[in-house]
Amino acid sequence: MIRIWLRGLITRRPGPLLATVAGVMIAVALLASLGSFLASAQASMTTRAASGIAVDWQVQVSNGSSAAAVRRTVLAAPGVTAAVTVGYAQTTGLTASTQGTTQSTGSGVILGIPANYAATFPGQIRFLTGKRGGVLIAQQTASNLHVAPGDTVTIGLAGTRPLKFIIAGVVDLPQANSLFQTVGAPASAQPTAPPDNVLLIPIADFAKASAALSAVHPELIHTQIHVAHSHALPPDPSVSFVTVTEAAHNLEAKLAGAGRVGDNLGASLDAARGDSSYATVLFLFLGLPGAVLAGILTVAVANSGADRRRREQALLRTRGASPRLVARLVTAEAVIVGVVGGVLGLALSAAVGSIAFGSASFGASVGSAVLWPLGSFLVGLSIAVIAVIVPATRDFRSMIVSEARAQIGIRKQPIWMSFYLDYLLLAVAVVVLFITTQSGYSLVLAPEGVASIQVNYWAFFGPGLLWIGAGLLIWRIARFLLGHTPRLLTGFVRPVTGNLAPIAAASMSRQRSMLSRATVMFALALAFAGSTAIFNSTYQQQAEVDARLTNGADVTVSEPPGSSVTPAAASVISGVAGVKSVEPLQHRYAYVGSDLQDLFGVRAGSIAAATSLQDAYFQEGTAAQLMARLAAQPDAILVSAETVKDFQLHPGELIKLRLQNASTQKLVTVNFHYVGVANEFPTAPKDSFFIANSDYVTRMTGDASVGSFLVNTGGQSTNAVAAGLRHKLGTSATVVPITAARSSVGSSLTSVDLAGLTRVELAFALVLAAAAGGLVFALGLAERKRTFAIASVLGANRRQLRGLVLAEAAAIAVGGTVAGAGLGLILSQMLVAVLTGVFDPPPTILTIPVPYLLATIVIALGAITGAALLSARRSRRPPIETLRDI
Amino acid sequence: MTDATTLFHAERAGHTYGTGATAVVAVREVSCAVTSGARIALSGPSGSGKSTLLHMMAGLEQATSGSVDWGALDGHPAGRPDQVGIIFQGVSLIPSLNAVENVALPLVIGGMSYDEAQNRARDAIGRLHLESLAAKLPDELSGGQAQRIAVARVLAAGPKLILADEPTGQLDRAAGIHVVDVLVEAADELGAALVVSTHDPAIAARFASRWTMHDGILASVSPHDDDFTDRTAS
Repeated sequence: MIRIWLRGLITRRPGPLLATVAGVMIAVALLASLGSFLASAQASMTTRAASGIAVDWQVQVSNGSSAAAVRRTVLAAPGVTAAVTVGYAQTTGLTASTQGTTQSTGSGVILGIPANYAATFPGQIRFLTGKRGGVLIAQQTASNLHVAPGDTVTIGLAGTRPLKFIIAGVVDLPQANSLFQTVGAPASAQPTAPPDNVLLIPIADFAKASAALSAVHPELIHTQIHVAHSHALPPDPSVSFVTVTEAAHNLEAKLAGAGRVGDNLGASLDAARGDSSYATVLFLFLGLPGAVLAGILTVAVANSGADRRRREQALLRTRGASPRLVARLVTAEAVIVGVVGGVLGLALSAAVGSIAFGSASFGASVGSAVLWPLGSFLVGLSIAVIAVIVPATRDFRSMIVSEARAQIGIRKQPIWMSFYLDYLLLAVAVVVLFITTQSGYSLVLAPEGVASIQVNYWAFFGPGLLWIGAGLLIWRIARFLLGHTPRLLTGFVRPVTGNLAPIAAASMSRQRSMLSRATVMFALALAFAGSTAIFNSTYQQQAEVDARLTNGADVTVSEPPGSSVTPAAASVISGVAGVKSVEPLQHRYAYVGSDLQDLFGVRAGSIAAATSLQDAYFQEGTAAQLMARLAAQPDAILVSAETVKDFQLHPGELIKLRLQNASTQKLVTVNFHYVGVANEFPTAPKDSFFIANSDYVTRMTGDASVGSFLVNTGGQSTNAVAAGLRHKLGTSATVVPITAARSSVGSSLTSVDLAGLTRVELAFALVLAAAAGGLVFALGLAERKRTFAIASVLGANRRQLRGLVLAEAAAIAVGGTVAGAGLGLILSQMLVAVLTGVFDPPPTILTIPVPYLLATIVIALGAITGAALLSARRSRRPPIETLRDI
Repeated sequence: MTDATTLFHAERAGHTYGTGATAVVAVREVSCAVTSGARIALSGPSGSGKSTLLHMMAGLEQATSGSVDWGALDGHPAGRPDQVGIIFQGVSLIPSLNAVENVALPLVIGGMSYDEAQNRARDAIGRLHLESLAAKLPDELSGGQAQRIAVARVLAAGPKLILADEPTGQLDRAAGIHVVDVLVEAADELGAALVVSTHDPAIAARFASRWTMHDGILASVSPHDDDFTDRTAS
């Protein structure tokens, strides 16, 4: 019997069955894709966090302990693949005489490294020029001393005679911060900047130099064991963090006080696990609504065949089928739908993975590659059960046969409307949103060094309730418009139905349950597509803003500290091919009270031409307004919010800063007037700084030197322009294109993963919008074939039949598009507000991806129109055949 | 042979569903005529071809052999409720329209204004004493009530020929008799010919002409039937 039943369903009613299967398929594919992607993203975050570290651990040997013994203990620790002894010595200063002049620097650090150091830790040293062995000098130090390979540098050592070395090569130390960290000290006690003057010498030479120094000043020398740890770590950054941290603690325990471990790898994973939590949150916020929507769509599709199923059940029961048999038939249908939909969904997910990521498993680990699809498959089965079995069981239990044979209950109002559930949910959503976006709120809290991560799951309630509440409100409004505004509806459908408009309007009014459900589906799908697209675009835009904020411009040319390059040098930079404009930016240090802060001197009238100044960077005015204030008042100054608070400043108030005079090298007091607040500024640090007019600063200090040049390339060929500038300027300045900043400023979340999430989600959003528009409508029409057959027998021609169909399509399309666009915009705003933690800096306005949204709307409307016309086409079939079949 | 009063005329007309090995002959070489004012009961077992013959009379099925014509009607009657009105066995009302709207529908489709069509529909419903059902939806009607509204729809359109395909097939006897009464009343009012197919001998007995069908072959059992020409028997 079951076989006959299923064969009948497949051969006689393949449409509804296939549509339900398609709904399950989309839900499973979306969940499996996003889940696998999330697992893959987390694994890539771990890999990225580990590979970005040059030296995994720096073990500082305690005074009086044997470095060799500590190294042996370290090498014996599990997971350690290499351990190298590195000497650190303080120098009183470096001196070099070149081209007839002698340059001296302040204190610095001498590192003693073995010959294989660069090969063992390839990320630590970047060779710029000269040899790769022998005595190496840091780029900035070389610049300060005006030395090149072959020149001699003299090292001053406290209490002993200076030593001379011939420079073999110039290097860059990309991870100087961790290289010169104070091992074991808390973050607040770490040095604010690495030393300006660094010389790397062979360990044998270091031993000789340190022997004399240690006799008089042993406190100026220490030894570290630099360690390479295995990067075969668990894919989840949180688990990896715990693993590596525990291993570091274990090593410290084994060293028994002989050494302390500076856990660079753990610190990097510590940051990555926060990103990982944000990735999970993003997955839940952005991906889950899509999967739920696919599930609801499936249930709606299955429900659109409810009348047919009720009649069939009634027929079976009048023919004597037992409840058990009916239950088995329905279960068989659900299992077929669930299994086939699930398998097809997994296949689609694999295809999406292959197309978008080049791997069917999205690059996830084997465990994740199995778990997520398996879980998604089970969800698909559950959706099939909910869609098929639950309503069938409900009908079977609650309806008597005569009721079951009735076609539609069109006057029944959903219970939730009587309780105003939609208003209630929206009100609660607003309250939750208000609470979760207050200052001090943090969606993800990953305290440094603490194993546990807190995710504020309350935040999910806001968007969640908004989704549900808005969906119900759209339903209510659609029902109201369809049911209680006959004149409006008649006028609306008249263009396509002619004199049949009142009849069409009356019919649509009675079918308001079905039509309003389809409108809600369509609106939610569009809102999902819209909110996802707007959020992602805004996110990408802000990542770009962040990169520009950090780098300053398309290309930034930074002069070494103490350089006397003036704004006139801009003409040299302008001469490089691809440079559109150049803007000099002064960099000074200024004392306000006893605080030392960065001061940036700008040309207020032209700075905006070379870099982008967002309104969000400033307070008490827009970017343009504050630049205009600076331009209008020579001694105007912008101050950080923290400084305003600390010093109780009021707009227009006088501020006295102390700046270094160029000729006397002494601090002079310069008067400024506070005109606004700058929270962020290109190239500026995140905490406290000042923005002032460069001409005024030059006049008051007698110093026109420039800190950096912001180079505008129009966003084109930044790497080529940077290469041209490097070629022209040599090692005298540091040239950084924005492309380098994009990869360095972005966390693992921004630079690697969200683009993939975007691709997957937007593709599914498009499919959902098209499916919601077309499928529900097409199936609704399929259930009403009899209506069209009767109308046809009564003389309706093709144009009239097409008009009746198009009237319904127009109602769903217009209502759904308006409601979907509005909800999408509100959801985007809410997502940006709730997920503000992932934005740095927060966006001023949403970025609307117009082409994608237009394409989505066009495709979805096309799906509705296509379904409508297909339906009208089916009505061409001789009506008597249709009437006979039903 | 047709004259000014012949509404439908078939000459050795037949209808076959499908082709080749799966072909099913529903009507075999039927020759008959329906004239103005005729009252004909068409009976026969299930599958004998009654419905197909009625559909041929309504122009909803084409004759696959022989010829048919509607001499006294204004052209081909398919989709012309003002020429031929048809009532089906099952519910033939549109579920999302109430009784008045269902009755008015063919008039609006035919080009009448909605307001005028509604007035005509109410009038037809009133003439059949169904005012209490006017605002009801098909789901709120019993089978007999729904069929009577379908009759009102025919009445409102004012056809010259009314065809009823087993209109009492899903009703109990009392309801069935009531529906037939209404049908006859409507035909009388319009002066239209009425052809009713039925299984029920009691209902068939109420008609002056009684035709029967077996395996697609039409035979008349009424003693004096001017509308029937038994060519297949001769």
